[in-house]
Amino acid sequence: MTRPGSGLPGTVGRRFVDACSLGEALEALRDGGDELTVLAGGTDIMVQYLRGDIRPAGLLHIRRLADLRDQAFEQRTRLGALTTHWQLVTDSRLRRRHPALAEAAATVGGRQTQNVGTVGGNLVNASPAADLVPAMLVGDGTVTLASASATREMPVADFVLGRRRTARRPDELVVGLSFAPLPERAGETYLKVGRRHAMEVAIVGLAARLAFDRDGQVVDARIGLASVGPRPLRAEDAEARLVGSHLDAASVREAGELLTRTSLPIDDARATAAYRRRLLPALLARAVGTCRERALQPGGPTQHAP
Amino acid sequence: MHLELSVNDRAVHLDVDPHATLLDVLRRDLRLTGTKRGCDEGECGACTVLVDGLAVDSCVMAALAVNGCAVETVEGLAQPGGDLDRLQRAFVEAGAVQCGFCTPGLLMTLTAYLRETPAPKPDEVRAAIAGNICRCTGYVQIVDAVLATIAGEPD
Repeated sequence: MTRPGSGLPGTVGRRFVDACSLGEALEALRDGGDELTVLAGGTDIMVQYLRGDIRPAGLLHIRRLADLRDQAFEQRTRLGALTTHWQLVTDSRLRRRHPALAEAAATVGGRQTQNVGTVGGNLVNASPAADLVPAMLVGDGTVTLASASATREMPVADFVLGRRRTARRPDELVVGLSFAPLPERAGETYLKVGRRHAMEVAIVGLAARLAFDRDGQVVDARIGLASVGPRPLRAEDAEARLVGSHLDAASVREAGELLTRTSLPIDDARATAAYRRRLLPALLARAVGTCRERALQPGGPTQHAP
Repeated sequence: MHLELSVNDRAVHLDVDPHATLLDVLRRDLRLTGTKRGCDEGECGACTVLVDGLAVDSCVMAALAVNGCAVETVEGLAQPGGDLDRLQRAFVEAGAVQCGFCTPGLLMTLTAYLRETPAPKPDEVRAAIAGNICRCTGYVQIVDAVLATIAGEPD
């Protein structure tokens, strides 16, 4: 509950820990992680807090941690957890290596949200509708978690356990993410269905990455879905159906049918489960076409003339 | 807790609730009520201010998260003598202000945007204000105002 001008709800003794170094943040989590909510851009956390959905005794502000802001473009792409949506949208190296992440980030909120919202935050928030997560899944994403005593890495697919639930322990901080860049002769896209273009939570989000051989046969397929289950997920049955095909109509249609069986959509305020199931085959058909076009387009990442 | 900010080029020191929002501090503590409280959940853009030059929704920004930063609000646009800046004048002349509630947020979003993109196309202007909701104008006059500004009118 909020009243205009009332400030945030809370209890006596609420804290704001403004971490200036990673070590300081990890110590704070070691000593009191159960009572701290990590705050980066705040575009999800502050809303949940103001609505009373979460009632943290303390906020641990991490946006000053320069260590978590870097990007590295090596064999894999490494993104500090504080990389913003706006960076995903505008950084040319990121756009080239991870078009689906860039497209997904561009659909999140308006510029105000994109300026401060972070990749780490979008993942840890674990919304079933998180736009970036399907793109992370098709990019073979892994997440790095640090605590005062250890660092571990795990696949994004294993990290999100359910709605607003992750494998992060209270003493841990998500410090970075890593992705496999788009390989040769491959294309990627993120498609989102909403009732309007801007400021919308996905009714369905679908990311696809397809790689082809010289004859146009699909050699690798990755499909990531959002808003059709309690957590974003890979659609492995549909992927398997596409591999080995030339994206002929029957293969794409059958893969689309498999998608509707993999998904576990619900009726909610935004759309019915039945509508979401109906969308999936059409979205898949559009996405795989875009992937092929991009993979084979001259001047694209492959330099492969059609 | 102690908060130190520059607000419209003026140094500000004050004690704030550890979990106050930037909007709370601007409106309640500093009495800068030009910045509006709309949806209070980062959707409508009425509370948009600039933090170190970047547009943010101040209703979902913790005040202490911007400790040490430079904040610009709509009150900083007009000159101390009272003259409106050229974007504000273009809003008035194009009829981009009806009820006026969204206007401060739109002005701040567009102020930041025009600094980085001095000559946008109409569609780029529309995309730039995706995070600001106006329920009066249908946005047409707002886009007109921006185009008039970059065309050098009505200076």
